[in-house]
Parts: sequence; C-alpha cells; structure tokens
Amino acid sequence: MKKLTAILLVLAMTLVLFTGCGGDSGKKEEKDDGIIRVWVGEESAEFYQKVCDEYLAANSDFGYKIEVKGMDTGSVAGVITNDPTAAADIYTVAHDNIGKLASTQCAKPITDEALIAQVTADNPEAFKNVIYSSLNDKEYLYGVPYISQALFLYYNKALVTEEQAKSFEGLREAARAAGCKAITVTGDDGFNMSFAILARKVDDKSTTVKIYEGADKVLGGAKGTSNCQGDDTVAIYRWLQAFAADPNGFKWASSDGWDADLDKDNKGVLAVIGGSWHFKTASAALGESNLGITLIPTFTLTPASVEGLTGVAAGDTFRGGTFADCKCFMINANSASSKYAKEQELIKHLSSKEIQDRSFLECSNVPAYSGSVSYIEQCFAEGKITESQHKMAAAQLGMAEWGIPQPFITSTLNTYYYSKQAPSVLRAIVDKTAYPTTGTQIIEETETLEGVRKALYLVEYIWMHGLTPTEFPATLPAGA
Amino acid sequence: MSTDLKQKKFRSQSRTQKVSLSATYIILIILAIIWIIPLLWIALSAFRCEFQPDGTFIGRVTSNFFPKAVGLKNFKDLFTATYYGVPNAFPKWIFNTLIIAIFDCIISTFLVLSVAYCMSKLRFKMRKPFMNLSMVIGLFPSFMSMIAIYFLLKSIGLTGNPAHPEYSVIGLILAYSAGAGMGFQVAKGFFDVIPNALVESAKLDGCTNYQIFRRIILPLSKPIIIYQALMSFTGPWMDFIFAKVIIGADNPAHWTVSVGLYSLLFGTHPDTNLFTQFAAGCVIVAIPIVTLFMFLQQYYVEGVTAGAVKG
Amino acid sequence: MSTKALIAPSINSGPSFGERLGKRFSNFGKRFADGSPGTKLSHLIFGAGNFYHKQYIKGFLFLLIQAAILAIMIFCPSINNTPYGWKALKNLTLKYTSMGGEFDPVTGQFTTGSDCKLMVLFGFVTIALIIVYFFVWNLSINSSYKADMDRKVGKKPATFKEDMAELLDSRFHILMLTPTCIAAAIFTILPTVFMIALAFTSYNSYDMNVLGTNLFEWNGFRNFVAVFTGEGSLGFEVHNRFLPVLGWTFVWAIFATLTCYFGGIILALLINKKGLNGKKIFRTLFILTIAVPQFISLLAVRNILGEYGPVNSMLMNAGWIQSPIGFLGLHPTDSEKLAKVMVIIINMWVGIPYTMLMTSGILMNIPADLYEAARVDGASTVKMFFKITLPYVIFVTTPYLISSFIGNINSFNSIFLLTGGGPTYTGYQAGGTDLLVTWLFKVTIDQGMYNTGAVIGIFTFIITATITLVTYRRSKAYNEEDTFQ
Repeated sequence: MKKLTAILLVLAMTLVLFTGCGGDSGKKEEKDDGIIRVWVGEESAEFYQKVCDEYLAANSDFGYKIEVKGMDTGSVAGVITNDPTAAADIYTVAHDNIGKLASTQCAKPITDEALIAQVTADNPEAFKNVIYSSLNDKEYLYGVPYISQALFLYYNKALVTEEQAKSFEGLREAARAAGCKAITVTGDDGFNMSFAILARKVDDKSTTVKIYEGADKVLGGAKGTSNCQGDDTVAIYRWLQAFAADPNGFKWASSDGWDADLDKDNKGVLAVIGGSWHFKTASAALGESNLGITLIPTFTLTPASVEGLTGVAAGDTFRGGTFADCKCFMINANSASSKYAKEQELIKHLSSKEIQDRSFLECSNVPAYSGSVSYIEQCFAEGKITESQHKMAAAQLGMAEWGIPQPFITSTLNTYYYSKQAPSVLRAIVDKTAYPTTGTQIIEETETLEGVRKALYLVEYIWMHGLTPTEFPATLPAGA
Repeated sequence: MSTDLKQKKFRSQSRTQKVSLSATYIILIILAIIWIIPLLWIALSAFRCEFQPDGTFIGRVTSNFFPKAVGLKNFKDLFTATYYGVPNAFPKWIFNTLIIAIFDCIISTFLVLSVAYCMSKLRFKMRKPFMNLSMVIGLFPSFMSMIAIYFLLKSIGLTGNPAHPEYSVIGLILAYSAGAGMGFQVAKGFFDVIPNALVESAKLDGCTNYQIFRRIILPLSKPIIIYQALMSFTGPWMDFIFAKVIIGADNPAHWTVSVGLYSLLFGTHPDTNLFTQFAAGCVIVAIPIVTLFMFLQQYYVEGVTAGAVKG
Repeated sequence: MSTKALIAPSINSGPSFGERLGKRFSNFGKRFADGSPGTKLSHLIFGAGNFYHKQYIKGFLFLLIQAAILAIMIFCPSINNTPYGWKALKNLTLKYTSMGGEFDPVTGQFTTGSDCKLMVLFGFVTIALIIVYFFVWNLSINSSYKADMDRKVGKKPATFKEDMAELLDSRFHILMLTPTCIAAAIFTILPTVFMIALAFTSYNSYDMNVLGTNLFEWNGFRNFVAVFTGEGSLGFEVHNRFLPVLGWTFVWAIFATLTCYFGGIILALLINKKGLNGKKIFRTLFILTIAVPQFISLLAVRNILGEYGPVNSMLMNAGWIQSPIGFLGLHPTDSEKLAKVMVIIINMWVGIPYTMLMTSGILMNIPADLYEAARVDGASTVKMFFKITLPYVIFVTTPYLISSFIGNINSFNSIFLLTGGGPTYTGYQAGGTDLLVTWLFKVTIDQGMYNTGAVIGIFTFIITATITLVTYRRSKAYNEEDTFQ
C-alpha cells in the first residue's frame, strides 16, 4: 500500500511538470511567419500588391513575403483597438487616428533615420504637425503620410452653372429654379460638418476658430487653446440657421442616402459636400457627365446674421472650410520585432514620391508630398488623367489651403471633439432646437443670439473638458 | 317532412353562407396581395436593369415600383463582384453560410433533442433547477455576451487569427450550437405528449435509457427533429449581427451571406448604388430557405403548435 | 410566518437550508474518517483512491484533470499578453501601476501594456477553473468512497466498462446533459457574468482613462448611483432615457402581442372557413412571409416607405402631399407617433402569419360537436365565436401569450431594421422607437459604452425576470407540466 502511494505521488508530480512545460512564463512570444501583411484602402490594394511584388523582385534579399489587402480605412482603428493582434503588420489610417492608436499602444513608433528624413523632407508643415505622438513621455514619429484628402463640392452640372456653383447663394438660385433644396452633407458628424466651423474669410483666410492649437503631443499634456465663440462663428451659424430654414437652402441627408437626394430624378438637392471616396456613388447618382467638382462654395453674411455682433459685418464673404487630412502608414505594435527594420524599409518605399505619383495615376489617390500640384497639372496637360480626376485632385489640393489637418494628437482630444456630443450641439444650433431635444435640457433654445452663444460656449467647453458644465457664465463669450 | 325542412333551411342558409364566403375570398385575396407586396418589390428590384441616359447603371432605390427595364445584370454582377477587397465575395459567403448551417443543424438538433428528452422523460435531482436556470439565463439579452464570446474563442485561436482567418467559421459554428441546448422548451413539449406508458413498458422489458431513446423515442420524433433541423439550418442565413462580431469586420472573405449583404447597404462605406445587387442577393438567399419551409410546412406547423400549447 | 416556511414553502417542507448545510459538512467529515487510505489520499491527489481500487482509467482521467488545471493555475499561459492562472486573479483587482508599453527603438521590441477587459474576462475564467477544480475534487473523493462502500459490502468496485454502461442507463441524463452544460457554461454563463461585471466598471469609450481606452477600473455601485443622479455620460444617457424607453417597450410589447394574436386568430378563422377552397394555397402564401429572412423583408418595407421610395412618390404625384412623409421616423424631425404606429402595423405583417399557423392547428382540434350543439340551440356565428372559439383558444395558448409578450420585449429585428431606433434625439443614443434591446445594442456595439450597456442589460433582465416569475409561477401550465399526462 505504501509503495503504491509513493508511486502515485511520483506519477502525479511528473505529470504536473510535463503539462506545465507547455505554457510559457508570461513572456510575450513573437511570431514571425515570414510574411509582412499590409492594409491599404480597398481601391488601391491591387496597385500596392503590384508595387510590392516589383520591390521584392528588385530586392531579392528582402527576406519576407508581402501580402497586401484592401481594408476600409475608416474601420481600421475600430478593429485594432478592439483586438490589436488581428490587424496587419502595416496598416493605413487617417492621421486623426494616430493619437488614439499611439496612446492605446496599438502602434509602434518609427525610428529609422532614413525614413524619418524622407518624411521630414517630403511633407508640408501642416501634415508634419500631426503625425507625431508620444510614448512614455517621449515624442516619436508614428505615421507616414502618403495620400492627402479633403472635402470638396460635387454638383449637378445639368442644373447648376459653374458660376452658380461658386457660392451658396448661387446654388440657392439654381435650386429655386429647379424647385428643390440646394445642398446637403454626407453626415452630421464633426468631420462632415466642418465646413461651417472651419469657414474662413475670403480676403485674408482668417478665422477666430482654434481647435487645440498648441496642444502637447504628450498624453495627458496641455490641451492648447480652442475657441469657437468668436463673432464670426456666431454669425456663420446664424447664417446657416437661416439657410437651413430656406426651402431652397440646406438640408440634412435623407435616410435613403445622400445620393438619393442628389439623384437628378429625385430632385432632392443639387450639390453635396463630399470626398474622393464618394466619387463612384456621386457619379452613379448623376451620371458622370453631369458631375461637377469644385471647391466648397463661399457665402455672404446677411444683415440678420450679424445683428448684435461687432466682429463681423454684413457682406463679409467666407468660404466653407474642411479638414485637410492625410492617410498614413503605421506599424502594428504587435508585429514581431524581427520584422521592424524591414517594415520601415517597405514603408519608406511605398510612401516615396515616385510611388505616390504612380498611385495617383492608377488609383486617383492624391499625393501627400508638398508640391504635388505641379505633377498633377503636368499629368493633366499630358492627357494622362481624365478631367474628373484632374478636377478632384485640384479641388482637394485647393481645399487644403482653406483647411487645417484635424489636430488630434492625443486620443483624449479626438474623443472630446467627435464624441461627447459636441457635434450634436452644433446640429441643434442649425436645427434651431433646444439641446438635448428631450429630457433635462441644457440649452433651452438656440433661436436668439444669446441661445447661440450659450450653445457655442457649450461646444467649446466640451472640446476642452469632455463634459457639460454645471453652470454657464453670466456673460458670453467666456473662456471655457 | 323533417328532411324537407332541413333542405329548406340549408338552401336559405346557403345564400347567406355564399355571401359571407365570397366576402371571405375577397378579404383573403386583398390580404394576400398586401402580404406579398414587399417580397414582390425586392424580387422585382433584383431584376431591374435601368440605365441613365449616358449609360450609367442605376442601382439605387428608385421611386417606381415596377422596373422600367429588366435583365439579369444584377445576378451576374453579384457573383463576379469584388466586395470589400474580396474577389467573388458572394459565392464565398454562400459557401461559408452553407457550411455553418449544416454543422449548426447537426450539432444543435442533437443537443436540443438530448436535453429535451432528459427534461421530459427522465427524473433526476437537478432537473427542476436546471430548467429554472435555463429560463433565467435565457432572459439576458444575447448582445451582452457577444464580445466576451469573441475573446474566449480568440484565446483558443478559433477566431481573429491572422494566420488562419478561416478558423473563425469554426468559432461561429461553436457559438451558434452552444446556445442551442438552452432552447429545448418546444422539443420538450413534444416529448411530453409521448405517453409515459411506452417508456415504462420498455423499461420493464429491460431496456436501458439509451436504448429507449434510440429505439423508441427517436423514430416517433420525426416531426420535431425536422422542425429543429429546419430552425437551426435556417438560423445562420438570417443572423447578421452575431456573425459579424465573431468572424470580425476585418475578415470579409469569411462572412456569412447575411452579414455581407447587410454590409453592402449599411456597412462602414455603404454604397446605396448596390441596392439592386443586394436585392439579387436576397432573392438567392431566400430561394432555398423558402423552398425548405414549403416542403417541410407540416412539420413546421406541428412544431409551432407544440410550442404554443405547452408554452 | 416561520422562517422554515419562508425558505421552503412547499407543502412537504424538507430540511431547512441550514440543516442541509450542516449535513453536508458532517458527511464530509464522515467520508474522510471512514474512507480507505486511497480515499484519504484522494483529498490531495485526484484519482488516488481509484488507483487504490484498481480503477486505473478512471484514476488516470481524474489525475489528468487535476494536472491540467494546476498547470494553468501555476504557469499562467498568456493570450494577448494577458495571463490565465493565479496572475489573473491578481489582475482582477484592476490595479495597474503603469501602462507597460516598453519600447526599444533599436530592436523594435514592443511590450504592450495591460488590457483590462481581457484581465476581467480571464480572471473569471480562472475562477471558473477553480470551481471546476473543486467540483472534480469532490467527484473523485466520492467515486473512491463509493468504491470503498462497495468493497465493504463485498461487491467488486465498478470497472470502467461498467461505469460507461451506467452512463447509458441509470446515468443517461449525465451523458445527455454534459455537452450542453459545458457549452452553456463557456458560451452563455461566463460571458453573461463578464458583462454583468462590466456594469461595475468604468469601461466606456466616452469616460475613458486619459491614458487610453484599454484601461478602466472598478467603479463599485457608482454607475447605478449615476443613473439616478444623471451624472457622467452613463448617467446622462440612462437617467434621461430609461423611463421613456421602458414605457415604449411595454406599450410596444402589449400592442405587438395583442395585434398579432387576434389578427392571427381572425386570419385563421377566415382561412378555415367551411367551404373555402384553396386553404393550402392561402396558408402557403402566408408562410412565405415567415420563410423570407427578416432582414430582407423588413429592409424592403423600409425602402418602400423611404423618402424617395414608391409610396411617397405615388402620394406626391397624386398631389396628396407636398413633401415626402417620414413614415418611419428616420429623420429627427419626423413624427415619432407616426413611426410608432407604423412599426406596430408592420410588425403585424411579420407576426400574424405565425400566430395564424398556430391557431389553425388549435382551431382544427376544437371538437366539432360543440359547434353542432350550439347551432342546434340556435346560436349565431358571432355568438359561437365569442362563447366557444375564443375562450378555448385563449385557454390553450395562454402560455404562448406570455412568452410572446416577453419575446416582443426583446424583439430586435422589427425595430432595428425598420426605424433604426426611430427619430433620434440629439444628444442621446436612444431614439423615439428604441426598445431596451436595441438601445443596448447601439450603446454597446456602436458606441463602445460597455458599462452603460451592461447596466441597461441588467435592468432589462430584472424586468423580464420579474414578469416571468410572476406569471409562470401562477400559471397552471408550469405547476402541472409534470402531470400533463
């Protein structure tokens, strides 16, 4: 009996040790399966796979296979923050996601000297300001821009002349003749409605609006200054209120889709503010020959909108603004460290000027490097691109002068601007409703000047603090 | 004399009866038309082949109910199109869904029948607590568990695996079948109706419980087996939320057909111009399911009635 | 009322809870004292007693389970850099000192920091493993003890073959139920417990920790307090929208259930009318609508009623309306009442064929002589309907009515696909026609406000559980389900 017990004890302990050997001691294991996976926009997947194959053929000692997959860049950030290990080694996101991805440790900083040098040399200042973020209080480069994007105007050439498309008032005239509304947007969020907040005076491109100017690139650092309570902003929103109320003015997109509005048979609207990713849908709605593309129109302030304001005067003309963004390559933090050097080498190649140029020719991706406008003009002159492509590229590069890149350096600021209901407050202003429209009301009305001022104060407060204030200051405007 | 009276009554009755009968016919036909309209519209949209004057294809929802031009273009496009960067996405989706449906059907039916039989015919200590527990657990909204299931499956490597994205299909099969066992009420109601005397006499003859189950109960359960199989086979074709979470938004090659079709119109970059292709896809998805339902109509009705009566 | 009666209200009141617990402990001691050395050793090493009784296979299986669980607990394998095992228990406190995230610029080595949601999940998995461990521990001791008792009375302890045979007979229910129990534990119970736990955290993409969205902490009951005070994004959303959404959920459930129910009965009566030809055809037509998946049919209806769809165009072309009507509340300015009415009507379209099928079967079972007798007595059709048909059908389908009511509370497709939650209220996630479930979905999956979703889920559960308990306890069907025969 005792012998049996002893045997049993030994058996048990051996078994435990055996199975225990399988599990690791908690150290992160790195799987390098010899493939570098890349995510680019869906339309460009084939092109970039071709480029990578050529690169591998030219550099046979690269040592890795490269797989390029098309992935909707809008949803990449969501996929990654939910489950970082499911993402590719190199992925593409719009730059406003850099802060979030860096702070949630889903991306690796870029440290290769040659790549950093190329990024610094090629890109405009505006982009260089927003591709850095921080890790453990140290600032690093995170994103490598290679496509630039901005919003512009699509319009119905059959019913709107080129002259009319230059201003909101012109669009309204055309709409009156056609018996429908003038313009709509593709969404009521903080990005698509940026034309109002970011509008600039036509003569000197000035605006009082600041969004996180001078914010620290370090997490938890200073949020810089924001301002949206300037007289010009108040006047712009009051103008927009009236324009939305006008039967031939502005409308929100229908639930059937903004392209149902744009469709020439439906006579919903004559124009829409959209981006290059809407091109296919817009040309399907209007027919490509009817599709006009131009800069976002200008508008002139009416006496009613400047009533009670000193900073602006009736007759001041503004042009709607936009966020001029770039799409960047980033390296997945969960990518094996053995791939690190090769990943940076690949990114350096894919974001080089030559490849950006080719990408423009084959996929209509507007290049991000500064001075790309000359290449685009040259292509058009040589007839290498269609007129629509030329117009889209010109419109985006033109709008880049009228906009700012989304200044989101940390994840906090990104959330405060987009979520936390600030866009909803702005919508309430345009709709002239209270905010919120039910339950305990924070802003009782937005019809009077005081109401609009209060709502804009609320927006600024949300941008800076991420919550609604417990009380409002007696006199507005006031710092938030 | 009495027969004359009866016949007279019958004839006068028959006139009022005739009126009410024709009224019934009219009402029923109107109702049938109303019921069919949405389905008819989708079917018509699938065959719609209208073009703009300059040749661009109109794929959106249009304001006319009947198409101005018909053709098979949508079906052709559907099967050859590249959605979300996946070439020939639609046939792949159908294939995935078919696999999931077949396995789900087999596993679910087996589990549900096992549990229902136990609850109905066997008596053991934990019986009532198990029934109460399953009822209570069933009251939680299922969305609460989706994320957790994703991570549990991921830790086994059955989903979200960049090296083997196809494993997520296995993960989804597990997720669907695992929940099935709790939905045993209808089957249990059916088993309750089988007389206990049958079971008892078999026991007296010396059969084990397993033999009773296999030799006596199962042959009698053809209706409920078919009902369960039908329900669990058609389930994966219709679910568009759970499948997307489990398989992952970054894995369009392995989506099910409902996730894929839904994403065409409501995904992150919805293209409303794909509506006619969506309609074509719907027609293709609907055909097998409808055919199954038609053929297995009587079993479905029996299952529904059994569920209703016993609750 | 005595405590005994409160705890065990059944007529034959068995031993009270306290008594049962005491008995357990005394049994435990007895088992240890009376057991063979093998049984005593089983308290430490699983399966020792089985080896002692020469039940090698059984003993080996027990040993394997113990080894596996102990290995996991001690060696803590990691997934996504988050460990199982004893480390997971430590992580469950969610006390993290830093984000981790060490980066070496030279090698590119990056160790990512803590992921709190995985820490919570794996912590619960570890707790589940501990429960399983003790369960198997008890099982192994019991099996050894049983063999002891067998030996005592002179019976040979069961061989593995005999155990397996038992599974097919007297312990058949164990064989049948085990797969489901395991599956339910992993895929239903564990995730639900995880989500309930999230209701006590600050896991909310709006309220995220300033350092990043992967970190959150335990909030205790603060979330529930916030519901009452309306503070924070969770409080703001739930405090202001819970009662309206709850009210609409009830209204919807009542109307949906009743309209479908009576509609189904009427339709079944129409189809079943004596002398009507083509019963099968009509029934098949209506089954067609059940067969077509809801996401197809409801999206079709949504598009037909859309702003530029056929219905609005027809109405505008006929000159009856100037601008399109928002039937389904897809615009914030659309009428909420209209959306609610439309949803109930369209739900009738979805639900009536189903109830029609069910009542058809029941109607055919009503004994015909009841009608004959009534007709002889000179009753009119209407009177027969109200005095015979209706009471019978209602009596037979009362359980169905209740479960249908609860099912409608949780009915997702009808609302989500048609209105997407109805006219949105600027500032909130919950719209005008949102039910508790659709609200839960929007808040959790769309917005990532997990703790808010968990709180809503818990409230939903409490409500549906209360209704179920009250109605089922009372209904005869439940009490007599045993005695149906």
